[in-house]
Amino acid sequence: MRKYVVLFSIVIATSVLAYLTTYLEAIGLIGLDTRYLAKLFLTFAYNPLARELTAISPEAVTSIVWDFRGIDTFYETAVFYMAIIAALAIYRGIGYPSIQSEKGLSIIVRVVTKLLIPINIAIAVSIAAHGHLTPGGGFQAGAALAVISVLLAVVFSASSFTKVGISLSKAIALRTAGLLAIAAVVFIPVVFSAFTGVQAYLMQNQVKVDSAFAFPAYIQDQLISGTLIWFNLAEFLAVSFGFFVIFMLLSLREDVVKEQLGEDHGH
Amino acid sequence: MDTSFIERFLIVLTLYNLLVTTSISLYGIVARPSITKKIISLTIFGDSLNVLAIFIGFRVFSVPPVLLRTDNLDELLKLAYSAVDPLPQALVLTAIVIGLAVNLFIIFLALQVYRLYGTLDSRKIKELRG
Repeated sequence: MRKYVVLFSIVIATSVLAYLTTYLEAIGLIGLDTRYLAKLFLTFAYNPLARELTAISPEAVTSIVWDFRGIDTFYETAVFYMAIIAALAIYRGIGYPSIQSEKGLSIIVRVVTKLLIPINIAIAVSIAAHGHLTPGGGFQAGAALAVISVLLAVVFSASSFTKVGISLSKAIALRTAGLLAIAAVVFIPVVFSAFTGVQAYLMQNQVKVDSAFAFPAYIQDQLISGTLIWFNLAEFLAVSFGFFVIFMLLSLREDVVKEQLGEDHGH
Repeated sequence: MDTSFIERFLIVLTLYNLLVTTSISLYGIVARPSITKKIISLTIFGDSLNVLAIFIGFRVFSVPPVLLRTDNLDELLKLAYSAVDPLPQALVLTAIVIGLAVNLFIIFLALQVYRLYGTLDSRKIKELRG
């Protein structure tokens, strides 16, 4: 009976939403035109004629993510960081054993995976380094690199992490280094301002109306879009090794965890 | 630019599809007793809302919000009047990461619940002490 009440209320809610969105146009005329704000972002993402307003990146999404709404993304990275801390807290006291089972998948799968891993690294670095030019960025690159941790755990068994030289503490250290690099780029303008007396703002990328401080937009005629490339590379490090931590913890064998948790944790 | 009947039909169909997917996943979160199924429904719920957000910024006959040529500024105006809305994409990127973080936390909690109680049935967990 209760199930039908839930089902009925959900159907009613969907019908109301459908009516609102199509007949009453509650979310605007979809598909016909974009909002004024969208045109503004598209015009100022890369615009050398308006140096005080532009993020100097041809990729509008990355401009919004790391410049126009940069603080938002900074806190988003902090949330991701906290989630991994929570996961580590749940697994506290459980050491990562150096040798688990040596079994993996067949030789064919192993060889193919060995061939794929360098390509995967190259693609991930490319997505991160071109994040300000083409679709992609730090998070997407990190997710692409994290595939390797799953491949290692599934194809070569969890003990392969130790073999390739990645331990849990190393992954945590690299992830923290990524986050510290983001914080460094955020605070560089403020430190610069403190030493030189030039007006500069937190997380500033290009010149503003009342501030002459700007990160270099080009290195030898190559567009690097000021802070955006550094943010993308730092986020890449933070996210990829954050995922490494997660998948290393999830690939721990259940009997190993139970053994370390002790008898009183059984049901 | 005028949109034909079939385009409008496809837009409304996609919108309704998203709403139905959202409702089914909401039903899964509320009514299914298994925590695993609740988590799966939660991810589907989040993803359908993300697609809905992207869909609001969509326009017919559009290009991606990336400037392909930086030497000719006429391209800039062309982009502003033909690209999709980049703001929902940026917001969804943030939402995906936060959703992922929350999901990871819930998955680890569920794993711990299973270790402690030996079940992921929310009706049985409710009856247990602790």
